[in-house]
Amino acid sequence: MRRTLLFAVLGMLAAAGTARADGETVAVFTKNQTNPFFAAERVGAERAAAAMGAHVIQYVPTKPDSIPEQLSEIDDVVVKKPSAVVFVPVDYKAMVPGVQRLNAAGIPVVNITDRSAGGDFVAFVGASDYEIAKMTARRLMHALGGKGKVIILEGVRGALTAQDRLRGFKDAIAENPGVTLVASQPGNYQRLQGMQVMENLLQAHPDVDGVLAANDAMAIGALDALADSGHSAQVIGINATREAIDAIKAGKMLASGDYNGFLQGCIGTMIALRAARHESVPKSVALPVVVVDKSNYQPYAVPVEKRACPKWEDVPQH
Amino acid sequence: MSRALAQLLARVLAVLALCAVLALLSDVFLTRGNIVNVLRQTSLLFFLASGLTLVVLTAGLDLSVGANISLAACVAGTAMKATGEPLLGAALGLGIGAAVGLCNGLMVALLRIPSFIATYGMLWVLQGAAYAYMAGQPVYGFPRAFRLIGVGTVGGIPVPILLMAAVLALGSVFTARTIWGQQIYAIGANATAARLSGVPVKRRLILVYLLSGATTGLAALIFLARLNSAEADIGGELTLPAIAAVLIGGASLFGGVGSLFGTFIGALLLTLVLNGMNLLEVDARWQPFVTGAIILAAVWIDMRTGRMFAARAEKGG
Repeated sequence: MRRTLLFAVLGMLAAAGTARADGETVAVFTKNQTNPFFAAERVGAERAAAAMGAHVIQYVPTKPDSIPEQLSEIDDVVVKKPSAVVFVPVDYKAMVPGVQRLNAAGIPVVNITDRSAGGDFVAFVGASDYEIAKMTARRLMHALGGKGKVIILEGVRGALTAQDRLRGFKDAIAENPGVTLVASQPGNYQRLQGMQVMENLLQAHPDVDGVLAANDAMAIGALDALADSGHSAQVIGINATREAIDAIKAGKMLASGDYNGFLQGCIGTMIALRAARHESVPKSVALPVVVVDKSNYQPYAVPVEKRACPKWEDVPQH
Repeated sequence: MSRALAQLLARVLAVLALCAVLALLSDVFLTRGNIVNVLRQTSLLFFLASGLTLVVLTAGLDLSVGANISLAACVAGTAMKATGEPLLGAALGLGIGAAVGLCNGLMVALLRIPSFIATYGMLWVLQGAAYAYMAGQPVYGFPRAFRLIGVGTVGGIPVPILLMAAVLALGSVFTARTIWGQQIYAIGANATAARLSGVPVKRRLILVYLLSGATTGLAALIFLARLNSAEADIGGELTLPAIAAVLIGGASLFGGVGSLFGTFIGALLLTLVLNGMNLLEVDARWQPFVTGAIILAAVWIDMRTGRMFAARAEKGG
């Protein structure tokens, strides 16, 4: 019995080995195993690769956003020489030497999500944090009728995404002279901190009308803080996570800007494989901003596992 | 006045000094709402740090508490989501927390692995298990009955604060008034002497790590109920603040010194810093700097006055 099992496993391994040797492989690098955004990106990559008859090998640091781990994973990939690489740098500056190693090995690399500060890329696929933040904030300004008091929950100070989102929020607020920004404090993209910071700020500003959170985790934390203390305010977030969509559906949350990890994973992998096959590819793909609210949440309520990648003709090209 | 009492008094004074400054700078700091708010936030850190205090009393360290929260919360959360049974979730959370504590205790007491290394290894095992189990997805939306331990109130006082008071009272009686508690102090002061004087060192060490795991399981439940969500790294960033709360509270890494009340004060101080910065709207860029500066200032005040009180106490007889 045990021997049969052993042979079955060996057989499967051999099959996997030959399949891998025959087909193309795409090495996909993401930042961590904790953020659902990157999980969606990995699913998108798997989907696109499967549709094009290729395999994906996922590289995710065990310690979230670890620079040394991603660097050693790159060394691993340089030895294994996959057909192409889809790359999210854990740090947009610190990973440049790693990208140069991939370039030296002659592997085509597509940069997705966070734009690397250097290195050669076949293409960049991403969404603009600034635009997403500004458009989502405008949705809130509209709901407030252009007047009221608002609070910003910032991401991690120093992170590129947090700076751009903060700028987008502030520019949208500046367009509305009737809206006052009463506090802007960091919640570091964490739900617990988003909740606790909101609890603290509510002590000083119980009459707040709107909350602009730099991601959905903090937005949900803020919603909990508001509900627990018997206050109410319109809340927006960014990422269009399942939980935020549920809150939007239930009428608790106003809107969430969609960063669309699934699409980025799809399109990044499609471009990577096309480049490996020497087919034409766009130099950059900027995903259009979608603000998800009660009027258009339905497609987002479908789990990423059940979504399909777009056709190549439908990919926005620039 | 004993030396320990003098130092505890100094520690309370350091926190009161910080409160006085905050009350002067912000007119909402001393409102009932904010005080309840601060205590409720303190409770999360306190639960995590309470069992850890016992470990530190034996000159050990438990680095696995944050990862233990992650795994216990994720398993309890998904179980409740699947079955809708609050009691099952609570039992799983406490059970996993305590089981992990027991493993730590067995490694430290029987296999004689230094606690730092045993619990550091455990940290990775637990964190890895949580990542694999959750596969990058959060779980959220738990039964209302379960959420009451996080968001409910009894007589106008939030449940987490009442639970904190209960753990603080029972724990203080346990450490200060029972033979087992005294034996824990004795192990930390001098393990060899404790063993020679008949203290069952191994069994007490296992107990201490077991309790640390159990309070961590409790913390995981309160977390789940408060946040109404769990993800694989929910507890990762809490280990260092928990250790800091224990040490700011006056416990020594060399063992034998410290108290649960001290740990409460330590957790309160760390919570007040965030509360104060939010109320005063300190610029985000400066918050880490201000956090560090306030902690150092408070500990300095505490040490100065503690020495002064102690010297006076000794002079007085």
